[in-house]
Amino acid sequence: MSTLRSRSVEMTPAALPTLVRSVWPLLVGVGVALALQFFAKPVIGDFYAKVLLDIGTSIILAVSLTMVNGFTGQFSIGHAAFMMVGGYVSGGIVYYGSLLAWGSADMAGGALSSMIDGREAPFLTWGDALFAGSLVAGGLVAAVCGYVVGLPSLRLKGDYLAIVTLGFGEIVRVLIQSQTSDVLYTVEEVKETAWYLMPTKVGGALGFSGLPFYSSLFWVFLGVAVTLLVAYRLKDSATGRAFLSIREDEIASEAMGVNTTQFKVRAFVIAAFFAGVAGGLFAHSIGVQLNPGELGFLKSFDIIIMVVLGGLGSISGAAIAAAIVTILPELLRNPEPLLKMWPVLAGLAAVLLVAAVVCAMTGRRARSLVAWMCIVLTLLGLGFGARAAAAAGHNLGDYRMILFALALILMMILRPQGLFGVREVWDRSLWKGIADSFRAPPKKGGTNK
Amino acid sequence: MTPPTDAVLEVRSICKSFGGLKAVQEFNLTLPRGSLRGLIGPNGAGKTTVFNLLTGVYKPDVGSVVLGGREITGMRPFRIAGAGLSRTFQNIRLFGELSVLDNVRLGCHVRAQHGVFRSIVRTPFHRGEERAIEASARRLLGVVGLLGRADEQAKNLPYGDQRRLEIARALATEPRVLLLDEPAAGMNSQEKVALRALIQRLRKEFDATILLIEHDMGVVMDICERITVLDYGKTIAEGTPDEVQSNPAVIEAYLGADADAGSSHAASKGGR
Amino acid sequence: MEKFLQTLIDALAVGSLYALIALGYTMVYGILKFINFAHSDVFVLGAWTSFLVAVAAGWGDPQASAGAGREWVAWVLWAATIAAAVIAAFEYAAWKRRHPTDAFSLNRTRLAGSLVLVAAWGWAALGLAKMAGVVKAWGDNGLFSGLLILLCAMATCGLVGFVLERLAYKPLRKAPRLNVLITAIGVSLLLQNLGQLQAMFGTRPQRMPTLLPTDAPLATIANVKIMPVDVIGAATAVALMFLLDFLVHRTKFGRSMRAVSFNPTTASLMGIPVDRVISVTFVIGASLAAAAGFLYGQKYPGLNQTAAAVWVLLGLKAFVAAVVGGIGNIRGAMLGGVLIGLLEFFGAAYVSAAMRDVYVFSLLIVVLLVRPSGILGRPMVEKV
Ligand SMILES: Nc1ncnc2c1ncn2[C@@H]1O[C@H](COP(=O)(O)OP(=O)(O)O)[C@@H](O)[C@H]1O
Ligand SMILES: [Mg+2]
Repeated sequence: MSTLRSRSVEMTPAALPTLVRSVWPLLVGVGVALALQFFAKPVIGDFYAKVLLDIGTSIILAVSLTMVNGFTGQFSIGHAAFMMVGGYVSGGIVYYGSLLAWGSADMAGGALSSMIDGREAPFLTWGDALFAGSLVAGGLVAAVCGYVVGLPSLRLKGDYLAIVTLGFGEIVRVLIQSQTSDVLYTVEEVKETAWYLMPTKVGGALGFSGLPFYSSLFWVFLGVAVTLLVAYRLKDSATGRAFLSIREDEIASEAMGVNTTQFKVRAFVIAAFFAGVAGGLFAHSIGVQLNPGELGFLKSFDIIIMVVLGGLGSISGAAIAAAIVTILPELLRNPEPLLKMWPVLAGLAAVLLVAAVVCAMTGRRARSLVAWMCIVLTLLGLGFGARAAAAAGHNLGDYRMILFALALILMMILRPQGLFGVREVWDRSLWKGIADSFRAPPKKGGTNK
Repeated sequence: MTPPTDAVLEVRSICKSFGGLKAVQEFNLTLPRGSLRGLIGPNGAGKTTVFNLLTGVYKPDVGSVVLGGREITGMRPFRIAGAGLSRTFQNIRLFGELSVLDNVRLGCHVRAQHGVFRSIVRTPFHRGEERAIEASARRLLGVVGLLGRADEQAKNLPYGDQRRLEIARALATEPRVLLLDEPAAGMNSQEKVALRALIQRLRKEFDATILLIEHDMGVVMDICERITVLDYGKTIAEGTPDEVQSNPAVIEAYLGADADAGSSHAASKGGR
Repeated sequence: MEKFLQTLIDALAVGSLYALIALGYTMVYGILKFINFAHSDVFVLGAWTSFLVAVAAGWGDPQASAGAGREWVAWVLWAATIAAAVIAAFEYAAWKRRHPTDAFSLNRTRLAGSLVLVAAWGWAALGLAKMAGVVKAWGDNGLFSGLLILLCAMATCGLVGFVLERLAYKPLRKAPRLNVLITAIGVSLLLQNLGQLQAMFGTRPQRMPTLLPTDAPLATIANVKIMPVDVIGAATAVALMFLLDFLVHRTKFGRSMRAVSFNPTTASLMGIPVDRVISVTFVIGASLAAAAGFLYGQKYPGLNQTAAAVWVLLGLKAFVAAVVGGIGNIRGAMLGGVLIGLLEFFGAAYVSAAMRDVYVFSLLIVVLLVRPSGILGRPMVEKV
């Protein structure tokens, strides 16, 4: 019998069409990012542009954590540390790079990096190149840290690994907080300081202030596109199956020839890289001051909430949950956009209700319909609750952590696999439950769960 | 047709104890290429432990395992799988959330190149390899008769199908020797007949060398050329089915010399 | 010498508190095999409860601690009591209909039984708090009030531990460990953020009233003052640990605890009420954490708001103590607590104070890599 390799060579497609197939999704991503930057941003206004920016960063973080927690089933709860590493590396490069190159750390980017409308600037400048390079550099340094943190996963499982990642995150935070000192402000100061001391001039406990705001919708959503593409392609390949098999059953996976330690470390490295990039984007976001105190385990928990709610192992689920978790506090603070949609939501709930009643009367299972109705109604209820609270002088957005914590607990009890499980939104089997409601009733005893 | 005589798997007096319990003592085995060997014994005799020792889940205290002329003792399980030893599990260990097809595709993993960079960029070779993997996975699913359920989640399969899926997954690693741990457990008589046919087919089509643990004496006595009998970790008999069946030590191990022995067997079953 | 002695005293005082908290982690891990992330928040709750009770009893500066009255606690208790009575009546009626002749006991009602327990327990805790007030009014030197406040905090947190286990963890008894871990993180976040509500403890740090004199050392050795709070704190911690050790190793209940920890399935087959054992384990762990919270507040009176990162770090150090000592092993937790205390305080005093957390976590990583089962723990292997 021929070997797999020889069969693979036989089936290898021609190079040129493959190149096209490999590259077009990225081009689409670039197109979307450009469209957001140049067409969407002026339309939606500064406030929503900023919300969109935060959503993009959250998506990168959540999807990257999905590669560790979702794909390989290792439980990392120190993800914010990689973000912190990437943010500081990228911030340091941009800040001191600008200072040395142009004499000032002010924003020197083109229209591509602009979050402020009406600013006259060329399309692309050297500042943008410096920023993009710093993102990659931040990602790479974070990836090295990911390798270091991934090593204990060779010997540790589950909760122990979780604690080690948490400990690592805290060590990084304490080191940045206590071992670094004030930011330098002038070129002379930088020139006087020995080069090897530069990494310690990042602001200590006070945070790294004065970073230029390079992160624009274009860069963030370019990052989102690359992250999604990489995550999806990994999941849908031999590598991704190896990741998932580790999560499903490590012993069987190893017995089938998967070098589990190697793949676990790979997952950590890739995830850390993207978290580092997200950290760089976060550090240069408008309205953000990079501060070690803010990127402790509470930030890591935020990311975990997104990943768990979306479904451990689902890329689209993590992205959707990241968007919801980021928007929800804003919506609760100001529920009017949500309430504008209330006729739509109410209509949807009514349709689901009617469908559920009809299904129930004809002896069909309507559970998934009822579940979706509950989700829609919850949204609606939150909207009206938020408005009532606002009228009473409260801000429901302040209670967001309580809501998320409750959601986390309830999700684990009622639907432990998260909203989408390992599956993606477009997987047809995910929607089978709803489709089944309309089909003939299942045979007695023939149901499989 | 005379069976070829070169040994593909050679096990030399491996031992393993857990604390005070000597689970496997002085186990020897020589498997010629293309042979089908049965491994039987009462519950808790140490059969599964032998598999775990061969596949590297546990390291033998002493002794050596040689596969195709290569020493594999003490290697990590994935390397042993790469060297050509593959197994199924007594307590089924499928990748439940993954599809049936993906379970088998994962088995091909060990023969594939699977670079991270290649997967991300999707080089022509990567695409060719994915196609080749899918083709051979589908072929194997056809062999075990699960092609129609390729897209279902493995955890949703009925028990018998899960056992056959485990066999397909193990075959996908293109093993020199296939270890089957109680493949007929939990199957009805119809499925057992099909399983017997499947094993025969594997030998014909894939030239598989098989070591088979099985409790169903009908299956074992019918298809195995030689049988090794374990009891309390010791090899108490070895020979053709007829020789083994008439061996007094084997009869005693299975029926028990008296009620006492029977109850102590029941106790050693313990655990979970 | 002076510095050394002072460091040693601090290390032992705080180390024994770590040990108290570590016991809760270890017991839960021993039985349910998961890290109860919310345990450190129960510890915080203990500290804040004792703050509220102490203030309500009249300790501390009456001006500074406004808004200490929490009427809603009483309302919740009334609601629980009434609900318990109503449900018990219904369950009694239903039961009588099915078994007209048998004698009835509260044990036979499922929901009502728990509710009655919860309500009675809550009233008892409230009673303890009121008693602390009465004792203070009589003019007390702090020791007896302290004991009452300690008991009240322990009772409150024990109750919280009971409810948490029933509501959040029990439904997940058969779920994968990862899910339980996530739930625990959720519970932890919930407690932290509930605690910050204005109706609870608010978002501002407060000052814990100190019950013991802070200006009269018990003894002075080589210029180092040995303060009553250190001695009494450590003594209380040690006494509680001995009590627990006795309970686990010398009583029938301890035996069932150990049996459940060894193998829950077999234990339940042997007639051990596994659910009850687990509940009691949570209650004990939570009340020990509450005691630690009270004692910690006495030593370091500045109480941070409940979601402050310092609290989680304290809890994590206690967890590290449990792991270092060998998780699932009670004596190991005590040993680990003292070790962590020594490491942290001597590191802070003699190397660098800013890096105190780094030592502890580095030790954790080293221990996990070199001997994952800890000092006194036994290694576990997975059967295939
Ligand atoms: N990891 C382990 N730790 C302790 N004892 C084990 C372990 N694995 C197997 N055993 C014991 O070794 C003996 C042989 O088990 P096993 O090989 O599973 O028997 P069987 O022949 O039924 O497959 C049993 O007594 C079992 O309890
Ligand atoms: Mg077996």
